[in-house]
Amino acid sequence: MAQYIDTLSAARIAAGIKAGEFSAREVAQASLDAIAAREDAVQAFLQVCPELALAAADRVDAARAAGGELPPLAGVPFAIKDNMNLVGTRTTCASRMLENYESVYTATCVQRMLDAGCVPVGKANMDEFAFGSTTDSSAFHPTHNPWDTERVPGGSSGGSAAAVAAGEVPLALGSDTGGSIRQPAALCGVVGMKPTYGAVSRYGVVAFGSSLDQVGPFGRTVEDVALAMNALTGAGKDPYDGTSQDCPVDFCEHLNDPIEGRRVGIIPAFMEAEGLTPEMRAAVEAAARELENQGAELVEVDLPHLDAAIAAYYVIGPAEAFSNLARFDGIRYGYQEPDCANLDAQSSLSRAHGFGPEAKRRQMLGAYLLSSGVYDKYYYAAQKARTLITADYASAYERCDVILMPSSPRTAWRHGEISDPTQMYLADLYTISINIAGNGGVSVPLGLGADSGLPVASQLVGPAFKDRTMLMFARALERGLTDAATGAPALSVAPAFAGKGGELA
Amino acid sequence: MKELSEVLKDWEAVIGLEIHTELTTLETKMFCNCKNTHDAKPNANVCPVCLGLPGALPVPNKRAIESIVKAGLATNCEVQKHSMFYRKHYFYPDMAKNFQTTQGPVAFCMHGHLDLEVTGRGAAERPECAFGAAEAQSLASASANAVGLSTAMATQMREGSHGGALAGMSGYNTANLALPERHEDGSYTVPIRILRIHMEEDAAKMVHVGGEEGRIAAASESLIDYNRCGTPLIELVTEPDLRTPEEARLFMEKLRRIFLTLGISDCSMEHGSMRCDGNVSLRRRGETKLGTKTELKNLNSFKALHDGLAYEICRQAEVLEEGGIIYQETRHWEPGRKRTVVMRVKETADDYRLFPDPDLAPFDLSDEFIAHCAAEIPELPDAKRDRYETAFGIKRADAEQIAGDPETAAFFEASAEGLSGKPAQAVANLIVNELAAYLKGVEGGITDCGIAPAQVASLAKLLAEDAISSNQAHEVFGLMAESGEDPEKIVDERGMRQVSDAGALQPIVDEVLERCADQAQQYRDGNQKVLGFLVGQCMKESRGQGNPKLFNELLRASLS
Repeated sequence: MAQYIDTLSAARIAAGIKAGEFSAREVAQASLDAIAAREDAVQAFLQVCPELALAAADRVDAARAAGGELPPLAGVPFAIKDNMNLVGTRTTCASRMLENYESVYTATCVQRMLDAGCVPVGKANMDEFAFGSTTDSSAFHPTHNPWDTERVPGGSSGGSAAAVAAGEVPLALGSDTGGSIRQPAALCGVVGMKPTYGAVSRYGVVAFGSSLDQVGPFGRTVEDVALAMNALTGAGKDPYDGTSQDCPVDFCEHLNDPIEGRRVGIIPAFMEAEGLTPEMRAAVEAAARELENQGAELVEVDLPHLDAAIAAYYVIGPAEAFSNLARFDGIRYGYQEPDCANLDAQSSLSRAHGFGPEAKRRQMLGAYLLSSGVYDKYYYAAQKARTLITADYASAYERCDVILMPSSPRTAWRHGEISDPTQMYLADLYTISINIAGNGGVSVPLGLGADSGLPVASQLVGPAFKDRTMLMFARALERGLTDAATGAPALSVAPAFAGKGGELA
Repeated sequence: MKELSEVLKDWEAVIGLEIHTELTTLETKMFCNCKNTHDAKPNANVCPVCLGLPGALPVPNKRAIESIVKAGLATNCEVQKHSMFYRKHYFYPDMAKNFQTTQGPVAFCMHGHLDLEVTGRGAAERPECAFGAAEAQSLASASANAVGLSTAMATQMREGSHGGALAGMSGYNTANLALPERHEDGSYTVPIRILRIHMEEDAAKMVHVGGEEGRIAAASESLIDYNRCGTPLIELVTEPDLRTPEEARLFMEKLRRIFLTLGISDCSMEHGSMRCDGNVSLRRRGETKLGTKTELKNLNSFKALHDGLAYEICRQAEVLEEGGIIYQETRHWEPGRKRTVVMRVKETADDYRLFPDPDLAPFDLSDEFIAHCAAEIPELPDAKRDRYETAFGIKRADAEQIAGDPETAAFFEASAEGLSGKPAQAVANLIVNELAAYLKGVEGGITDCGIAPAQVASLAKLLAEDAISSNQAHEVFGLMAESGEDPEKIVDERGMRQVSDAGALQPIVDEVLERCADQAQQYRDGNQKVLGFLVGQCMKESRGQGNPKLFNELLRASLS
């Protein structure tokens, strides 16, 4: 019977290659075939790199033939968000500004996935410079949600989430500044994790908000995400990123431990928030019951300063973005306006024509917020709010091991359905405070919503550097929703794409 | 224009310096592992970090932090345990990221001071009216505006709003700062306060091709060399406590000697590894309100620093006395034409949008780290000068000059080991005069010029014993530098030993007095100057070997 790449988890692929069931090249080719067959409808990728993929796969096969020990994720194809440098690919950030920018070095997170044996198949679409929640602000093309291609995959790591949900790859890397991993994971029905700030190196990942950005994995199972976390953190802190820290745990260990007797925090204000759709609320409540059924205790926790989170985020994020994107002036690389009379005209016009509207909006906002006389009122106030919110979470974790909350207030919406930027910003209600506090969060798919028939999800968040505990609860939810008869996870690949291309030869 | 001395009688010059020093002795740059060298081909020492490529991140160079802590300790600063890096934004191609990583309100080192000993002719630049009570008032009224006057970043440093962050900026411990008092010989000592020393990264070097004097105006193209981008740089900002160009020059010299001794930089003003901007304003004597300042650039030698400030003070005085106004502007010193010209007018303060760099964690320096830095500080020039003065008994001015350069000091100590008094002073004289002159004409420095301390010691002993004259010493120095031989041997082989035997010299004196009867008579008639001519005749007659001091004595005795 034919075996398809989209039915196999990363763990299963690595085991199969080790056992000689199939070769890494067969797997890489199957992934590339699936991409070829599905991309017209999904458009998750900005670039596909078959040569890099096949060369990496051949190295795995050669290592196996030579009798060497294979790394843990040997031969597992993965997608890379296009704000991460990989030599041999362009790193465009989905922007005209970097349309032709060739990576001259490889980001640490990507290198660590390669070191773990993963096979890079391409660069995934995103909102321009990661500014957005839909991937519609990509300068090149939108990405479509595999569960309903009329709808957005979420964002900004929408390409990474869609590639996994469409079964093109079992793993993908994304980056999360205010929910950019967890929200698209929720909308696409896959597992998406933002680790604690500092757990994964940011070196080589084009910065948006340096104090908020964190790289993390997408997968279709919690175990795959745990394996990717091992790859990303196993080598210890990155000497090239002064904000990275050692994270010396095996994320797969204790993954299946029972959660009996542990405490799960619920924030009542979040469950009552305006904009949370009934089906999303129902899904999170069902998840709470599932954890309770497995022996966990539910406790109510209060975060008194949560109201300030979105405001603080939309000060700190744009301020840092303004600063980080200042370097794109068209002088050394990137889009350069032709025929300019002088330097000022050249950098102004290169920026005016290289950046899209949302990238400009955020930078202008940031430039204003940091300007003399305004700084105190906003930036300094936002930093104070940040301190309070971080302290709120810390005291909440004195009463519970993890907190359960929605990942997104609603399921995937149609392209163009939300056009007011401030309405769009509010969609990040549940994810932003986690970036503000620097803690970890993981979005876990919970099946399909009763009203929309689209993926619903909930989010588990945990204390700083307790990401493994968080994954243990995520696994408990996944276990509860696994079909006892088939062993299949609650959601696998979007049905419209299952088995379309990607047969293992 | 009036002379500086005239101007300073009516006007008080208020001067503050901003001194940038590249930490050239470090192996790597401030935030990356690129080599920190000056002589590489353009754009050879670059990487994603110092080129500001997308996704690159900075990691601070620990050795650079050690260097700045040493600089702070050596200049009596308070080392701040808690400080951080900020981003200072401006769009210009010499900054690859379009922001410079620098420090904010709290620098690694705050509130230090250096005491300047101002002696000799330069001391006269400060007029009599600038001592005592007047000076107390002057200092108090200048420091009140210190931040505003001395640093362009002041407007960005929102004092008061950072609360705890500014706790370390409470102020100076001024108890040990004495007001200058003039000594009988005109010299005086004045404390110059240091506002801060902060750490930052240097910008790339731009070369403008085709324009006049390498300036951007009329250049046909601009080339950028990013080798220098990211070089560790420390910026020292003084309070506006300097009152004369001489004091500014002395401060710069003193600071350079300290940094050289610490080994944190090669401190080359010529090559730009130590650069100084001068801020200067004038106010009428007795006035407490500060005038409008101008900022002077291109002060790339001690002479330029002195002359540029002197010119600018006179220019401002002329403008003010003619009823004009001084604009807050940056001016360029043109040493060739001996004038300052406007570079740019600052109508409004630049908005650098300074904010804490989120890529660099705040520092929390431990007591151990600071103690480790303190332990690595060698004997500083002032202490060394005082020791040379007492232990070797040499003149303070010579001690100061020798102690200021670590290699010269080491050479002196090796040469003068075990000596004191006359022979030690002879060693000092040889080093300050003969060796310094010799080094100007040869390649290489004091350690590899081919002259050994033992040779200098030996030559000094000959001098101290009056075995040779100082003219002969000059000759012997040249010979020993050429041959590498011991001076004793040179002197003996060439029969150069000075004759200090009165019995042997008296016949020569008699002969000269007989031959030069006219001059002898002139002397007897009261023309003292002619004695020099007679000594010269005796020296000539003795083929340079007679002791000139003894000739002098014998001549006086014979003519009386």
